[in-house]
Amino acid sequence: MSISPIDLFLGNFVLIAIIGTIAISLYGIVAKPNLIKKIIALTIFTDTANVLAIIIGFRKPPSAPPVFIGNLARPPSLEELRSFATIAVDPLPQALVLTAIVIGMAVNLLIIFITLQVYRLYGTVDMRRVRELRG
Amino acid sequence: MKRILVAVAIVIIAVIASLAATAGGALGPLFDGVRSLAEFYLFNVFNAHNATLTAMSPEAVTSIVWDYRGLDTLFETVVFYMAIIGCVALYRGIELVRDGPEVGLSRIVKTVTKILIVVNIAIAASIALHGHLTPGGGFQAGAAMAVAPIIIIVVFSRFFLMKRGVTKEVALSLRSMGLLGIALVALIPLVAWAATGTVAYVMQNQVKIDSSFSFPAYIGNALVSGSLIWYNIFEFLAVTFGFTIVFLLLSVDEKTVKNALRGEEHEH
Repeated sequence: MSISPIDLFLGNFVLIAIIGTIAISLYGIVAKPNLIKKIIALTIFTDTANVLAIIIGFRKPPSAPPVFIGNLARPPSLEELRSFATIAVDPLPQALVLTAIVIGMAVNLLIIFITLQVYRLYGTVDMRRVRELRG
Repeated sequence: MKRILVAVAIVIIAVIASLAATAGGALGPLFDGVRSLAEFYLFNVFNAHNATLTAMSPEAVTSIVWDYRGLDTLFETVVFYMAIIGCVALYRGIELVRDGPEVGLSRIVKTVTKILIVVNIAIAASIALHGHLTPGGGFQAGAAMAVAPIIIIVVFSRFFLMKRGVTKEVALSLRSMGLLGIALVALIPLVAWAATGTVAYVMQNQVKIDSSFSFPAYIGNALVSGSLIWYNIFEFLAVTFGFTIVFLLLSVDEKTVKNALRGEEHEH
């Protein structure tokens, strides 16, 4: 079964949009002097990278989630497993993204705590002014 | 006005680029099929006929997270642990007082929240306990459960939560219990090795080529997928209370924190 041109176009559009979003968020991380804006750009960057990883594991229709559906009271037969393995999408990127999201959340919280501390000590989150103040 | 023009230009360029890529036949092969590694996981994840490679779970993602790539997840849990410890360390010397005014939002919001919190806890528990059967697991359940304390803090105030026993110390010890549970489940095979003399490996779930040790895949008629359900439950505990600590710290009022910071300066 071949993929339709519309689906192919949409797939390409999503990929190009992801690359564009990554470029814009990297610009935000580097160029914005405000720490909060840097954090927002960083979260956009990690989320976009996660979407890219999920898309790489995608497979053209007919596709299914990587969860075996059937009678769970007994182990499935080899035929059932073979048909499952031929339609399910790649579970590995999903597993990596899953942990990346939670770890990203924890690391973001740490960065936000540090930013909060910077604000309390310097009275600003603008990196240009924080650099001038020097403790 | 100029910004809108730039945005429109970017969208037009993206559409043209995608059209060109489609016409050139690009990226079509990307979706043709999955890699052989993925097929290996999908075929073996619930394959009782190949006992040395299976995880005995219908959920491929949880099986990869806690069985095939279990050590990766263990170290990612350590990263999570360190991040929370970093947050707690930044707040050292700041005492979270238990007693304070229970202000909060209006009665309507409070009533709706009371109902929603029960639903939230039920959903989080089902995500954790069914993590080896349906999409979900300890991480997702913990993230879903962590919504409960943050909503309670916003709607009822931090003191409501702390007066009922959810203090920083309690959350820290419950989170440590979760991490300890993960470590214990990972080390049970070694204990079994010492007790029975059959070779076993750290974080082993089902039988391996030279090891006959295995967690029970079924308890009665219920599929528990060996060690996966235990990892999910303990990770649920660790993630829930890890985030609870952070939300408690974030809800400390500015005056208390600034007083503590000023106190540090006086000492030096």
